[in-house]
Amino acid sequence: MFMALPIFLGGSSDVGGFRGASFLGMPFDLTKRSAGVCNDCSHVAMTYTALATLLILGDDLSRVDKRSVLQGIKKLQLADGSFAATALGSESDMRFVYCACCVCYMLNDWSPIDQDRVAQFILKCQNYDYGIGQRPYLEAHGGSTFCALASLVLMGRLHTTFSPARVEGLKLWCIRRQQTGFQGRPNKPTDTCYSFWIGATLHLLECASWVDKLWNTSFILSTQSKHVGGFAKWPDTHPDPLHTYLGLSALSLSGDLELHPVHAALNISQRTVQWLHHLHTTTPPHSHSM
Amino acid sequence: MAEETAAEGYVPYRSRPEWKDITPVPQDDGPNPVVSIAYSEKFRDVYDYMRAVMQRDEMSERAFALTADAIDCNPSNYSVWHYRRKLVQALGKDLREELKFTVSVLREQAKNYQVWYHRQKLVELLGDPSEELVVTRDVLREDSKNYHAWQHRQWAMATYQRWEGELEFVEQLIGEDVRNNSAWNQRYFVVTHTSSLTDEVVRREVDYTLGNISKAPNNESAWNYLEGVLRGQRLRTYPGLLDSCEAMYTKGIRSPFLLGLMVTMCEEEIADGGPKAAECCSKATELCNSLATSVDTIRRNYWDYVQRRVKQTYQTTVPTAV
Repeated sequence: MFMALPIFLGGSSDVGGFRGASFLGMPFDLTKRSAGVCNDCSHVAMTYTALATLLILGDDLSRVDKRSVLQGIKKLQLADGSFAATALGSESDMRFVYCACCVCYMLNDWSPIDQDRVAQFILKCQNYDYGIGQRPYLEAHGGSTFCALASLVLMGRLHTTFSPARVEGLKLWCIRRQQTGFQGRPNKPTDTCYSFWIGATLHLLECASWVDKLWNTSFILSTQSKHVGGFAKWPDTHPDPLHTYLGLSALSLSGDLELHPVHAALNISQRTVQWLHHLHTTTPPHSHSM
Repeated sequence: MAEETAAEGYVPYRSRPEWKDITPVPQDDGPNPVVSIAYSEKFRDVYDYMRAVMQRDEMSERAFALTADAIDCNPSNYSVWHYRRKLVQALGKDLREELKFTVSVLREQAKNYQVWYHRQKLVELLGDPSEELVVTRDVLREDSKNYHAWQHRQWAMATYQRWEGELEFVEQLIGEDVRNNSAWNQRYFVVTHTSSLTDEVVRREVDYTLGNISKAPNNESAWNYLEGVLRGQRLRTYPGLLDSCEAMYTKGIRSPFLLGLMVTMCEEEIADGGPKAAECCSKATELCNSLATSVDTIRRNYWDYVQRRVKQTYQTTVPTAV
């Protein structure tokens, strides 16, 4: 199994978490925890991805310095409730809110983040059409809508944050994204990945039954590459891992093919989530550090 | 590749005498790398040297020049952009020249998060947003829905309170493409931040939107905007709105958004227990049937749900009805 650990940045520094790769030249050494080099930091999306990958591979996370990861997450939350991606500074938007919430959920520890502020930020991002943008006043978008909804669900705060009217409005905004497959914004072309971003949101809102499965699955399948396999955003377009993964995840959510069921909020298989929940019940908190 | 580097007259860093003192640092992915990236020779060379100077945090002109090559090879490398920002400040580089540099990157990669963030940081250092509306406008000319451009534009406008001329800009875009949802969103942004939604402003916005709806009755963006500016108000009694809807319906317009709004206005009356509740219940039922079976069939499950909801609301608010 490929070890994410050489790209793990641990210790008591404020930059705890995982890097995306060893592109800054730190040595590959499984025996010691990487101390970090200059200009080095973890990235919240990589921390989410690394933890999810470890769980998918059946790892028990005992070698992850959870305290360090959580401290890294704490450093990323901004005054408005949103999150940056790195301790050295980056843009902040709903993507990183989602990543931070996933990390807390996976490590079963919400102490590094202020959930009230997260909910307030998400509330401010719901726009005049009830869809949700990346930041307040930005155009409602399928990706940010998923990130917001999934974050609220993972925190268990969906209905305490959104009134029934806001929830109903959001449901309608989402279901209106279906044209054949799904678009990410009104009057934009459909794209396979939105079958996941919007499809999963509809699952989290418990109205996935409103989706026309035939049109949705037909569109996703039409984006398959006949030459190299995999899925693309559109038919007759080069496939890539992102659209392949999200296309499969969306197909799984629609329940029509022989794929593992997917956990709509974490975007990993239910099988993996069961393993995660097992770890939650059998691992005492913060008992493991490297 | 050798052909590429030779053709450009490009000299690898490992062959440059002024870099002799630096030992290049390779990327170390261990003995069994997974999903290895097939870096070109040029990429490897640039980044072997980039890693070396970043590890020493070297603050020099040669490091600064190297970051441009590193960014050219991979414009998404946020660590390189961060290091370049440190260099810009340490070397006292001309920030306006650096802004020009971001434009050269934006020309190739207008959807790159790192270059827009870099630009934001430069503007903050300069305290001068004067170019931002022009730069984002130019990017929007190429792609009128570029989310990064709109985000940067909103950031500059809100941070430095530059609102003048934006309503005109939005109207121009809507005039060019009435279905541009980003433009309608920007309209909401401008109106709510400048005048706020006073009765007079709402009236103006409703009339403007209805005018655009008559040109394209199936345009979701306009209908969403209409309901957005009227949020919190009773739609059924907003002067002229119900009449406008019924006139469109009578003319034979069967837009799912028109019918959807008419259903909403019916539900309002029912929920308020108004005098026309019964009439509205049957009207809404008829509209939902029409939506489910012919006007918006892809969403038939939704419109069936709405029909059930309408009936439920009627039954709970009009208890004397059987």
